[in-house]
Amino acid sequence: MGLFDKFEKTATLYNGLEAAGRNPFTVVMEEVLGPTRAKIRGRETVLAGTHNYLGQTFEPSAIEAGRKALAEDGTGTTGSRFANGTFSGHKALEEDIAAYLGLEHCVVFSTGYVANLGAIAGLVNPAEDVVLIDADCHACIYDGCQLAGAQTIRFRHNDPESLDKRLARVPAETKGKLVCIEGMYSMYGDIAPVKEFVEVAHKHGAYLLVDEAHSFGIYGENGRGVSEADGVMDQIDFYSGTFSKALASIGGFVASRHREVDYLRFGSRPYKFTASPSPASIATAGAALENIAGDASIRARLWDNANRIHAAFTQLGFRIPAPSAPVISILFDSEEAAFNAWNFLLEQGLYVNMAIPPGTPGKESLLRLAVSSAHTNDDIDRIVTAYHALASSLQQAPIASAE
Amino acid sequence: MAGDGSSIQEDDDLVFRKICSLLDPLNEKGVKLTRATDLVADLEIDSVTVLDVVMDIEDCYDISIPVNTISETRAIGELVDAIHQIKKEQA
Repeated sequence: MGLFDKFEKTATLYNGLEAAGRNPFTVVMEEVLGPTRAKIRGRETVLAGTHNYLGQTFEPSAIEAGRKALAEDGTGTTGSRFANGTFSGHKALEEDIAAYLGLEHCVVFSTGYVANLGAIAGLVNPAEDVVLIDADCHACIYDGCQLAGAQTIRFRHNDPESLDKRLARVPAETKGKLVCIEGMYSMYGDIAPVKEFVEVAHKHGAYLLVDEAHSFGIYGENGRGVSEADGVMDQIDFYSGTFSKALASIGGFVASRHREVDYLRFGSRPYKFTASPSPASIATAGAALENIAGDASIRARLWDNANRIHAAFTQLGFRIPAPSAPVISILFDSEEAAFNAWNFLLEQGLYVNMAIPPGTPGKESLLRLAVSSAHTNDDIDRIVTAYHALASSLQQAPIASAE
Repeated sequence: MAGDGSSIQEDDDLVFRKICSLLDPLNEKGVKLTRATDLVADLEIDSVTVLDVVMDIEDCYDISIPVNTISETRAIGELVDAIHQIKKEQA
């Protein structure tokens, strides 16, 4: 009694979704057929709603590396990074990531979520420091602030001037100031003006953390992220990322030009008190990193695919909130319209993500498509055909305002 | 501080009136706004929207209101008091 009351409203909503059709939040991939195909409800479906941006999930060299690690190092570390779960593989991957990014230091965490949690809660002391975060930052950045227990100030999304004003108001006696932004924001696929943020943060003596979870391996000449594309890799203070998107594994990291980032190894609870990534996860992430670092054509294919899909959706008249990116969202006028459209696309054999408030910018309801370099011409044809059919059905019974 | 919300002091309070003007477009059920009105329970405003309203208040008064402070306030009156306090501190 009492403990479960708070769930009632959400449970009613979710049960309603289940009753009205298919629930976007309970999809099961019954059989994975390849990097861009899976069986859902017994049917072969094109996956355009997973973050397999560089199509590495079935890369032979990564699978071989995973097999080898399983055979040689076992199924799990049964320990935390701090106490009893650091193998030579973890250290080698830290060095490889640092080398790839051109940053000297790197700390591997158990997931991307945990990496941001660990960086913020580890770096910030609630008694004397303050954190400033972009309003649209991911839940893990908000949660990191909460775990830190420090004063947390939001600034307007992608608005360096809004940050400037808030930094100027920070009391003089505050010791450390940490600013958190993302490279590419995963709801709209819009990117941050990192260079401007660096200038504003440093003008006020603040440190800048850039979460490149969705942009690592994708943006910039060498795929180092939006920070590289903006020419400020050597100026940002902390770079966080994940193994679960471009590297198609699981785990996360924080890299930095400051050697003090190593203090997280004893000063960060999310580093110390959870199990480290399994040897196979580390090995596949390392092999995928080697692939994507050594072959720029993978990244080029992703961008070709993204540009084709973005151009096609624009032509179809959808409301698209950002320029071409590996995430391409279309906006709807209501949650119901987005839900209907999501179901329509699944019927067409296409899986994308539905996102509804409060977790969306500007309280929009949207369908989010994630592009992969592994999407074949056939996959892209099926994606465009499905959205074309959606656009036609909306014209007959308009549930979204097509501009 | 809460209780019967319709005291004269509220009408004189510019911060209270500013908050009401920002909440008005979100007040879909037309609830009467008093110091006792609970943002979540009475107005059914989600936590992110509360944060967005607070950002407008920040820019209006040129103050910074930490997220931590907002998560501790539920009623409009509590928010008004917090803003007066911060205005005093940051003046």
